[in-house]
Amino acid sequence: MKVEVHVWDWPLRLFHWLLVLSVLGAYLTGKEGGDWTDWHARFGSAILGLLVFRLIWGFIGNTHARFSNFFPTVPRLFAYIKGDWHGVGHNPVGALAVLALLSVLLILVGSGLFANDDIAFEGPLYSLIDKDLSDKLSGWHIRAVNVLLILVAIHVTAIGFYQHVKKNDLIKPMLTGKKKLPGTLAPTAVASVGIARFVIGVLLSVSVVWYVWGGDPLKYLQPLAGIQSAQAGGKIQ
Amino acid sequence: MKQKLAIGLVLGAAATAALAGPIEDQIRFRQSAYSFLGWNTAKIKAQAVDHPETFNKEEVVAAANAVAAVANSGLLGLYGEGSAEGTGWKPSRLKVEYFEKKDEVKEIEAGFIAEANELQKVAASGDVGAIKEQFGKVGKTCKSCHDLIRVRE
Repeated sequence: MKVEVHVWDWPLRLFHWLLVLSVLGAYLTGKEGGDWTDWHARFGSAILGLLVFRLIWGFIGNTHARFSNFFPTVPRLFAYIKGDWHGVGHNPVGALAVLALLSVLLILVGSGLFANDDIAFEGPLYSLIDKDLSDKLSGWHIRAVNVLLILVAIHVTAIGFYQHVKKNDLIKPMLTGKKKLPGTLAPTAVASVGIARFVIGVLLSVSVVWYVWGGDPLKYLQPLAGIQSAQAGGKIQ
Repeated sequence: MKQKLAIGLVLGAAATAALAGPIEDQIRFRQSAYSFLGWNTAKIKAQAVDHPETFNKEEVVAAANAVAAVANSGLLGLYGEGSAEGTGWKPSRLKVEYFEKKDEVKEIEAGFIAEANELQKVAASGDVGAIKEQFGKVGKTCKSCHDLIRVRE
C-alpha cells in the first residue's frame, strides 16, 4: 500500500527552483559578458543568498532538509549499494550529488566575489586582495564552471534514469513536496515549517549578501534582535 | 620579377620585425597598451555605468578617444612568433594556439576597432545611457579575445 507523504518542505523547494533559475541566469550572462556582466553579479549574489539559506536550513530546516538526516556516511552508502537503504529524503548517492553541487557553487560564488575580468568587472570583495590573487581566483572561477556543468549533467541524467528506468518520479515531489511511499515509511513525514526559523534564515541570508556589497545589516538587525545582539554588534563593528 | 617580389617580401618582413623590435619589446608594448586601455575603460565604467552622477563629459570623451586610439594602433603587430612564451613586464599570457587562430583573432580585432570607434562617436554625444550600452559592446569584444587566446591564471 502506498501513501502520499509530505517530504520536501516549501522553503527547500523554493530554494531549489530559485537556485535553478539563478544558476541558469548566471551561466548565460557570464557567457555573454559585456553589459550582461552586471546581471551576472546579481545572479551570483542571489546564489550566495540561496546558499547561505540552504546551509542554515540544513541545521534548522525540516527533517529531510537537515544535513544530519541525509549526510552520506560510509555505512549509509554501503547499505544503499546493497539495497538495504529505506529512507525517505535524499538517498545516500543522491546526497553525495547534493553536497558536490553545493560545494562547487560555494567555490564559484566565493571566487566570484574576489574576481575581476580585466575589462570592466570587479567582484564586491576584489579590493580586499591583490590583483595577482584575484586573477588566479578568476581563472579558478571559470574552471569551476566546467565542474558545475558536469555535476548538473549527472544530476539531470540521474533524475531521467530514475524517471524512466526505475519508474520513480523525483521531479513532482520537488514541485509539490509530496512523495508516494510504502505505508511502512509514512511516520517519518515532516512537520509543518516553523515560520520563525524561515524568517531567521532569510534575514541572515539577505544580511550576508548586503554586507558583501558594502551594506551594514547589523544597524537594522539590532533593534529586531533586541539587547543581546546590540551588545554583540558593538564588538563586531 | 618573382625574384624582386621575394626580395621585397623579405625586406618588408625584416622591416616589420625591426619596427616591432625583439619579442620582449613586443610583449612589453602590448602589456602597456592593455594597461593604458584599462585605465581609460575604468574611467568610462565609473562615470557612465557605476556612478552616472559623477559623469564628466570631457573626461569620458578623452577616455573614449584613448580607447579608440589603442584599438586602431595595430595591436596585432605585437604578436610575433615566439611571443607566447616570452616575458615583458611580466610573463606573457598569450596561448600558443593564437598562431593557429590568427584569422579568428583578426576578426575580433576588427570588431573591437568598430565598437571602439562607435564608442568614440557616442561619447562625443554625451548621452550617458548610450555610452553605457556601447561600452558593453566594446567589453564583449575584449571578452571574446580573452576567452579565445588568453591563458587563465
